Amino acid sequence: MGKITALAAVAVLALAGCGSDDDSDGGDDNNAGSGGNALDCSAADGDGPKVGIAYDVGGQGDKSFNDAAAVGVKKAVDDLGATCTEAEATDGEAESAREDRLRQLADGGHNPILAVGFLYSEAVNKVAPDYPDISFDVVDGFDPDDEANDNVAYLGFAEEQGSFLVGVAAATKSEAGNVGFVGGVNSDLIKKFEAGFTAGAKAVNPDIEIQVKYLQESDPKGFNDPAAGKATATGMYDQGADIVYHASGGSGAGVFQAAVEAGDGKWAIGVDSDQWQTASETEQAHILTSMLKRVDVAAFDAISAVDKGEPLVSYQVYDLKVDGVGYSTSGGFVDDITGDIDGYADQIKSGEITVPTAP
Amino acid sequence: MTRLRNIAIALAAPLLAIVFSLAVTSLVIQISGGSASDFISILFSWPADRLLVNIANQTSLIYLSALAAAVGFRMNLFNIGVEGQYRMAAYAGALFAGAAFLPGALNVIGALLVAVAVGAAWAGIAGLLRVTRGVSEVISTIMLNAIAITITGYLINTYGIKAGDSRRTEAIPESSQVPGWQPFDKAAGEVWTLGLLAVIAGVSFWLVLNKTRFGFDLRATGQSESAAIASGVNSKKMTMVTLLISGGIAGLIWMPSLFGSAHYYGTTFQAGLGFTGIAVALLGRNRALPIAFAALLFAYLNEQSNRLTIEAGISVEVIQITQGIIVLAVVIAYELVRRYRLRAEEREVAQAPRPGATTEEVSA
Amino acid sequence: MTTSAVELRGIEKRFPGVIANHDVNLQIAPGTVHALVGENGAGKSTLMKILYGVQKPDAGTITINGETVEFSTPSDAIAQGIGMVFQHFMLADNLTVLENVVLGAEKLHGTGAKARAEVRAISDRFGFGLDPDVLVESLGVAARQRLEILKVLYRGAKIIILDEPTAVLVPQEVDALFANLNGLKEQGHTLLFISHKLDEVLAVADAITVMRRGTTVGDPDPSSVTKRQLAELMVGTELPSPATDESTVTDVVQLSVEQLTMIDEFGRTILDGIDLQIHRGEVVGIAGVEGNGQTELVEGILAMRPTQGTVRLGGDDMSGWATRKRRAAGVGYIPEDRHRHGLLLDSPLWENRILGHAYEEVAVKRGWINRGGARQDSERIVDQYDVRTPGIDTMARALSGGNQQKFIVGRELSGEPSLLIAAHPTRGVDVGAQAAIWDQIKEARRAGLAVLLISADLDELIGLSDRIEVILRGRLVGTFDPRTVTPQDLGEAMTGGQEEA
Repeated sequence: MGKITALAAVAVLALAGCGSDDDSDGGDDNNAGSGGNALDCSAADGDGPKVGIAYDVGGQGDKSFNDAAAVGVKKAVDDLGATCTEAEATDGEAESAREDRLRQLADGGHNPILAVGFLYSEAVNKVAPDYPDISFDVVDGFDPDDEANDNVAYLGFAEEQGSFLVGVAAATKSEAGNVGFVGGVNSDLIKKFEAGFTAGAKAVNPDIEIQVKYLQESDPKGFNDPAAGKATATGMYDQGADIVYHASGGSGAGVFQAAVEAGDGKWAIGVDSDQWQTASETEQAHILTSMLKRVDVAAFDAISAVDKGEPLVSYQVYDLKVDGVGYSTSGGFVDDITGDIDGYADQIKSGEITVPTAP
Repeated sequence: MTRLRNIAIALAAPLLAIVFSLAVTSLVIQISGGSASDFISILFSWPADRLLVNIANQTSLIYLSALAAAVGFRMNLFNIGVEGQYRMAAYAGALFAGAAFLPGALNVIGALLVAVAVGAAWAGIAGLLRVTRGVSEVISTIMLNAIAITITGYLINTYGIKAGDSRRTEAIPESSQVPGWQPFDKAAGEVWTLGLLAVIAGVSFWLVLNKTRFGFDLRATGQSESAAIASGVNSKKMTMVTLLISGGIAGLIWMPSLFGSAHYYGTTFQAGLGFTGIAVALLGRNRALPIAFAALLFAYLNEQSNRLTIEAGISVEVIQITQGIIVLAVVIAYELVRRYRLRAEEREVAQAPRPGATTEEVSA
Repeated sequence: MTTSAVELRGIEKRFPGVIANHDVNLQIAPGTVHALVGENGAGKSTLMKILYGVQKPDAGTITINGETVEFSTPSDAIAQGIGMVFQHFMLADNLTVLENVVLGAEKLHGTGAKARAEVRAISDRFGFGLDPDVLVESLGVAARQRLEILKVLYRGAKIIILDEPTAVLVPQEVDALFANLNGLKEQGHTLLFISHKLDEVLAVADAITVMRRGTTVGDPDPSSVTKRQLAELMVGTELPSPATDESTVTDVVQLSVEQLTMIDEFGRTILDGIDLQIHRGEVVGIAGVEGNGQTELVEGILAMRPTQGTVRLGGDDMSGWATRKRRAAGVGYIPEDRHRHGLLLDSPLWENRILGHAYEEVAVKRGWINRGGARQDSERIVDQYDVRTPGIDTMARALSGGNQQKFIVGRELSGEPSLLIAAHPTRGVDVGAQAAIWDQIKEARRAGLAVLLISADLDELIGLSDRIEVILRGRLVGTFDPRTVTPQDLGEAMTGGQEEA
């Protein structure tokens, strides 16, 4: 598993990063063929599984979890000789458009079909029964009704566990005893990040002050509003925080800028991918660590399961135990405390610590 | 003769706009390394059965949205807030239907009324602000859109039923679901019965606007508010009523989908229709029948977009480019047609037998 | 022989299907006031647009001070020292005199002290009496017009075109304007003065050119030509006059306005206790300098703007009624601005038949548009009132002003109104249509209609009215008998017995 992680991580470095800044795109442009890291389905011609991948809005190149999923598929192309076909959602599309996308992939004989994003949950639930021989996998998905589908897997992540670890890092590194959390949208999913982060920080320092802000109540704009991210984070630094963790997608770029402008000793923590890798040089000096959500691991897992003839079914949780979540050490700012963090990680794995999923 | 010519040039404008837009999009695709011939051949290939069903369903939603926008446009009221109005209405309607206070069909009617009332009320806020305080409805409705998203988001996050990491309203009881007509096999889906709401709304729109005094007053106000006031129209009342109607129609937008397949307000809620409607209303020149064709065109393009990515690897965004250019081109084309017609008429006036007069005196 | 300031030779301008100008020849000597007369539609406006660079002629030459020129834009014309004063002022009310002058001409003298000094210098040189730092909204009509002239002088114009400059002025102001024009002339400016008011033309012009049907038809000598000759040259026929026939005034009061007061949204009193009665068969004319409450009086009677006081029509107290109910009760309304208030320009004529008459059976039946009825009645109006149009499906915008107005008059006299409010019914209308409209008003009066006539044309007021009331600053300040009153008497009353500052 470690090897896979390492491989995938390298690929993620080149591609992913929800919050990467504009001036960070030197060589990580997804269609820059130089590194050969981007997924190019037209070049894949192996005899492994024929993967259909339905992205969420943004598709490949979003530097976020669409890209992370693509990394997993790319790995399957390289390692398993998989072939692939990509499809992509548009903003404000109809539910029927999502269903149709899945059906077209299914009619094209793809198996498995990876649906990236919980928005595909309902569509998969509707489509899957018509294609009993095809395995569907929904990243972050859920089964919307009571009838279980035996050809659908829901690839969930223990974001609270990863967040717990960066919470530990934050509390350990914080000199002010004051940290912040910026959420993109006040949804149950993002609340998991908050809950884990808070629990981790309190585990180290029960008296720590934690500022929590969400950019939007439900408007997905919260994941793509760097200006709001910056304003909110700046407010937190002004209120005495020295470390701010964001779970706000593209808005995180603003959080990083805020950290840079707040000056030395102020830090930000990235999310989903190792955002240090895609940040600019000035920002790198302020990115303490990142919470890793290994969509690539889950995606590859799902494909290789089909390849082995044992497709994944039902809820699959990618937690610390399977390296489904974690934290990054790029930049070396947490090298001195990895022992502490890993200690907590072991306690979570062993069940000694149960991380709450809601604040 | 004149009539025929007018119809011909009225049709020529949107057709040219479509052709122009496809040409530009093809160029964009070719330049960015895609295949324009794939694009054209996929776009013009006959859609699969289920796509036909989807096109029908989407047309009804887009049409309702465009009507909602068009009512306002016809009297120069720019209700940009259809988006927020139908979101509020969709949530309220779903909540009401899910609570099932009433049995069966009554529940459907009740929920429709709730949706219309909520949509109208949400638009009415903008109306009130405009009538009493002179706040531009463009500004207020845009702001109300943001507020609507936040309010529905808060309510659903707070009171919604958990489904995975998302939330939704209570599902509509089966007795109140209104499925539809299944023209092909089951997998191809159903044409929603409540899509008929779009037909009813379209016919009413045409009747009221063209055949009634109220409609005349509305159009007169749109063409010239000062002339309408002089003719006895109470423009404040008219503003209020028009926004209420616009919001009321907006309230219906998502209802066919809610009762036909979604059954609750949650991740399947289709956002963005309010903005599509504005574009479609523009394309259809705010006329009932042309809007229907425009809605059909947009639905068609939307539904063909999946195939573009899957079969030709063309990014889905090109469809939005196509739609955008169509609207831009058509706005320009309509203006050219309008001027052409005016000149043609002035020519006719000049040729009418009268001594020594010309037409350039119109406004001294 | 001196070189002409302006010489136009063989100018021709065609629009699709229309020959607006053809074989136009015009010679203007430098340092003179040259009048260009002709009825509306004779091609004056097109010619002026050509001379001012707004439109390019299809044929012919323009010679300025002996030099043949071609204008593509007004700036070319301005560069040649041509300036134009439009009939409708183009001024920003919320800016000062100085700001209005320098707007768009900032390059000449900047916007500061130098510009201010220049404005003051021009104003003093010609006796305009304009303070550079006064807000335009506080200026009267005449002062605004002087400001417009100042604007073109500031831009270095030596040849100034004035498009119907007297249309908005009272007689005393006209005299003052003419004094200004003479001042300009003495300082070497050349003035081209467009008008169809023949008295004025004869009073001020050094030379006259008459246009008819798109071409120049003569250059009568102002010192010898009579008004009648001039008019006949213009129209090619006999000139109509608005003289009233014998009185048809009855003793039945049709409109009774008591203590009508209007306060605007800024708290200013616009109408101040107006008392007015109009009998059946009576035409009451309201004379006044524009902006003294005429428009508001009309809008108040029609409830288009809120007022206090009582308005009775026949036996009905209409005070609490909305506009539509008042009009439905039998009030016809010929608005002063037909484009803004009288027509839906982008709708066909037959739909315009419905505008303001949605209570008539012929237009609307039980809430539904009576298309057939409206179309039929539109045909009737077109026939009966000689509206020149290819048909009733023609957009109102395509019609000439005179024909638009005839249609409005026909519409407003339909449905047997008991009161007609006619605001400037012949403004911007050619002589033929003017005569027709006068006849129709007179005929309606004979049939017992009460008419409230508002006009800036004192001849029209005197000729049509049975009684003239003068309005000044929102009050009725004097009653005159049109049979005995002179324009000078009226002008004095209209300005409160003194020259406007």
